[in-house]
Amino acid sequence: MSAALIEAGNLTVRYGSKAAVDGVSFQVPKGRVVGLLGHNGAGKTSLMKALVGLSSFDGSLSVLGMNPLRDREKLLEQLSYIPDVAILPRWARVDQLITLMSGMHPRFSADRARTLLKRTSVGPRDKIKTLSKGMVVQLHLALMAAIDAKVMILDEPTLGLDILSRKSFYEMLIDEWCDGERSVLISTHQVEEIETLLSDVIMLNEGKLVLSISLEDMDTRFVGLSHDPAQAEQIASAHPLLRYRQAGQSAALFDGAPPEHITALGQRFRPSLVDLFVALTRAPERSRQQA
Amino acid sequence: MQTWTSQAPIYQQLADRLADRLLDGEPDEGEAMPSVRTLASDYVLNPLTVSRALQTLVDEGVLETRRGVGMYVQPGARLRLRLAEREKFLKEEWPAIVEKLRRLGIKAHELNWEI
Repeated sequence: MSAALIEAGNLTVRYGSKAAVDGVSFQVPKGRVVGLLGHNGAGKTSLMKALVGLSSFDGSLSVLGMNPLRDREKLLEQLSYIPDVAILPRWARVDQLITLMSGMHPRFSADRARTLLKRTSVGPRDKIKTLSKGMVVQLHLALMAAIDAKVMILDEPTLGLDILSRKSFYEMLIDEWCDGERSVLISTHQVEEIETLLSDVIMLNEGKLVLSISLEDMDTRFVGLSHDPAQAEQIASAHPLLRYRQAGQSAALFDGAPPEHITALGQRFRPSLVDLFVALTRAPERSRQQA
Repeated sequence: MQTWTSQAPIYQQLADRLADRLLDGEPDEGEAMPSVRTLASDYVLNPLTVSRALQTLVDEGVLETRRGVGMYVQPGARLRLRLAEREKFLKEEWPAIVEKLRRLGIKAHELNWEI
């Protein structure tokens, strides 16, 4: 396998004395769709900002073989980034934006942007301020996907969109961006609906990495066991990551298959990404209460 | 969006769904399968998951890969799928049905076979 597109080693991002990202190591190879998950304040945006050279960091970080801080301008030519606070100029028309991008970005293809927009209901003469929120996000993705880049970084791109807009966003992402070579790192709170889209997941909890795994490995490593409430005590003795109730049944989630006499007490199931997310991360206020 | 159960890996569930459609002749034997990207976008799935599902169907002799062109439905695929489905039904589903009929005390002659 060729070198990873993104490689972070012991990456730390500080704001004053607080570490927003705390000693995080991971790799993103080519052709992957990586979900970056974490509660609000877990460090997702800080991590993404470091990747695109918008915040200083300690540790090692290489994006497309470059140091984001030192080679920021060159890096931004080869990387597409939609920040969580992304806005497009409201006064502009779509075709004006395309012209603007052509002048600004050496790897931007106006033709490709126009082709991509044909998938959407956004017309070239539309003014940005007349577009719905969903259409603006579609437009933004079309502009970013028209850049000949290897990595796309999307910070909560579907925030505030209704389900149909989210679906067309994901469809366009798969159809027009994922080609087996390019990778995308995408942060979101819509864990449930993004699960099937991902090839890998990175989970942050209070700045620390709690999981970095491919979905394929996740299926084999984590085991769910639904069981009768009467068996709860025996199940608990095998130290599951999490115990909860679903659909009137008790369920437990294990890291690694539990011993056979425990498995025999219930029905194995494939834990969802949401189950794992709940098991491995906690809302900051809850951790504080427990501390 | 599509719904998937927690009982089996998603690639397996997709392979089952594609097999169901193949049984209905979509697409017909000898015809091309939709591309990985088309399926990925239709089902909102990661392309790797789709490739794995298609590979499962190749391994079962239902699809064949034509290098550089794509996947095609093998001649005899529907017969093979039907036989596999029959075996699965008789082995996995039928015993559960028999068990339920027993529990409800329903005899064979009480069942309507003309539906």
